[in-house]
Amino acid sequence: MKAASITRILFRNPPLLTLALVALVWIVAGATLRGFGAVGHLRYILELSAIIGIVAAGQTLVILVGGIDLSVGAVITVTAILLPLISPDWDSTGIVGVVVTLAVAAVIGLGNGMGQVYLSVPAIIMTLAMATFLQGLLVLIAGGSAVSVTNEAVIWLGSARPFGVPASIVVWILVAVAVLIIIHRLPFGARLLALGANPLTARLSGVNVNRTTLAVYALAGLFSGVAGLLVLGMNRQGYVGIGDPYLMTSIAAVVLGGTSILGGRGSYAGTIPGAILLVTTTALITVVNASPGWRSIMFGSLILALLLISGREAQR
Amino acid sequence: MNLSPSSPRWLYLAIQRRRNRGLNGLYLVVAAFLIVYAILFPGLLSIGGFSKFSQNWFPLALVTMAQALLMLNGGISLAIGPLVSLGAVVAAISMGGPAGAFGGFVAVVVAGLVIGALTGLIVAYMRLPAIIVTLAGSFIITGVALLLLPRPGGYIPDWLSQALAGHQPTAFALLVVILIAWKLFLATPTGIGLYAVGDNPVGAFRSGVPVERIRVVSFAISGLLTALAGLFVAAQTGSGDPVIGTSFTLNSMAGAVLGGVGFLGGKGTMRGAIAGSLLLSVMINVMFFLGFPPVAQYVAQGVIIVGAVAIPVFASRWRKA
Repeated sequence: MKAASITRILFRNPPLLTLALVALVWIVAGATLRGFGAVGHLRYILELSAIIGIVAAGQTLVILVGGIDLSVGAVITVTAILLPLISPDWDSTGIVGVVVTLAVAAVIGLGNGMGQVYLSVPAIIMTLAMATFLQGLLVLIAGGSAVSVTNEAVIWLGSARPFGVPASIVVWILVAVAVLIIIHRLPFGARLLALGANPLTARLSGVNVNRTTLAVYALAGLFSGVAGLLVLGMNRQGYVGIGDPYLMTSIAAVVLGGTSILGGRGSYAGTIPGAILLVTTTALITVVNASPGWRSIMFGSLILALLLISGREAQR
Repeated sequence: MNLSPSSPRWLYLAIQRRRNRGLNGLYLVVAAFLIVYAILFPGLLSIGGFSKFSQNWFPLALVTMAQALLMLNGGISLAIGPLVSLGAVVAAISMGGPAGAFGGFVAVVVAGLVIGALTGLIVAYMRLPAIIVTLAGSFIITGVALLLLPRPGGYIPDWLSQALAGHQPTAFALLVVILIAWKLFLATPTGIGLYAVGDNPVGAFRSGVPVERIRVVSFAISGLLTALAGLFVAAQTGSGDPVIGTSFTLNSMAGAVLGGVGFLGGKGTMRGAIAGSLLLSVMINVMFFLGFPPVAQYVAQGVIIVGAVAIPVFASRWRKA
């Protein structure tokens, strides 16, 4: 195959392009930086990517229907603080606490959807207002102090390695398979792509717009909740602000994966390498050992540079 | 005066009436909140109280204008907060320099215009979505602010703080001047093009509007307004702080949307956005005055923003039914 046709295939297929970028960065960094290519380090990168990847799973669905969810960070914080508070003592496995917390996360997501469906509030405002609301509520409940986790199930999620693979990566694989099936194999996936491409046509073609919107935002809340449990399991502590870094990174992962921010076009297949690419970038910036200011500048510039390669909107 | 339906003046008034139609409810709500506030806090009616009130409102009004300007031509900015911080930081470190307060003012203006124009160039000519570019930009701008001034400090001359944030309603006067400037700007081809580009970019292009150039200009003006808000905040607090602007990103969007500016471009008015920012500002002031803890203010703000956006929708549904 000629080089020209390979580049053409890559640029026609954003998920493949992002994957190729990840491979390129890993090979170059592995060859030049000592310790980058070690199995332990790469596994650590994937563990961190798992959290962003799971948050971005919900974000991908929401962006595909033409919305955006700015409350994912707040939902992660809510789950990380709520779980230690509501896990009952009599349940030694901790499963009850996990189930209740995930239900709360899904209900918060459902609330985002209801605001849009029944009150006609735009997605960006509804989810921002939800984030503001939750932020205040959290400080009222937790009083601003960190809470330690004793829930067995969550600690297992954060530290177990069945067959040498960290549990968070196992969860990510399950989520990824589920989301890919939802988008590409189920009628629901066809409906949400139709809704994102053109709401009016979707409605006229018989898509139940309200129900689809509600389901998508509830799923987004649920996935943020799962990510929150993983974050809590790894940190062993929940505190206000723990979820904040995941808001912008989840959106960036989706867009780097080639999904259109305008909705209707894209796939979770691109978000997966997008998440890995982001975490790798952050890891490389940490290696450079710069001040927080420079680190922030490098992170922003790298996102911008990566966008130029993979995130362009179609020509008018 | 000739007021037959075909005269330009009649047409102008009819159009303005139509543009105000969706906003009458908002004006009523704002007026009601202002009256409640004046009853709770009669000091509002004195010159000192009015000055303090307008000083709290002024930076929010500026960033809401900056955000509304972008939304009107189909863009959006998630970098408003960081740019306010950067404006404050630039003011605080340059005003103590050899060029003095005027040099500092020029530095803030240049910083705002250049950063805005750069963002606009990337959005318009590289065809990247504004929301993502400004998201990446927010990291870069925050980084620059942190590099320039790692911790709060710097110097703002005392007379400047007194002049802008003292006991005279200077802030309100400045706002009136800026609004008149906006009205004049709208009468230029670029100003009309701003709405046209937001409403229908392809149509605007076919009619000979320089779409890309107008996008860049709108981002530049928006950056200027945001950086000036930063300068004002620095004068208010007497120093620069690299993270002081954080809350302005959300509030600028909330103000613009409360004021009826749509996300898809071309829909909305600047007077609506200003009213929206006023409503937000009065709300925050009233909650503060009623002794809400800052935390409860977050909860109430979330509820009120959703409510204020949803109520007009319900009102129009009832009207139809």
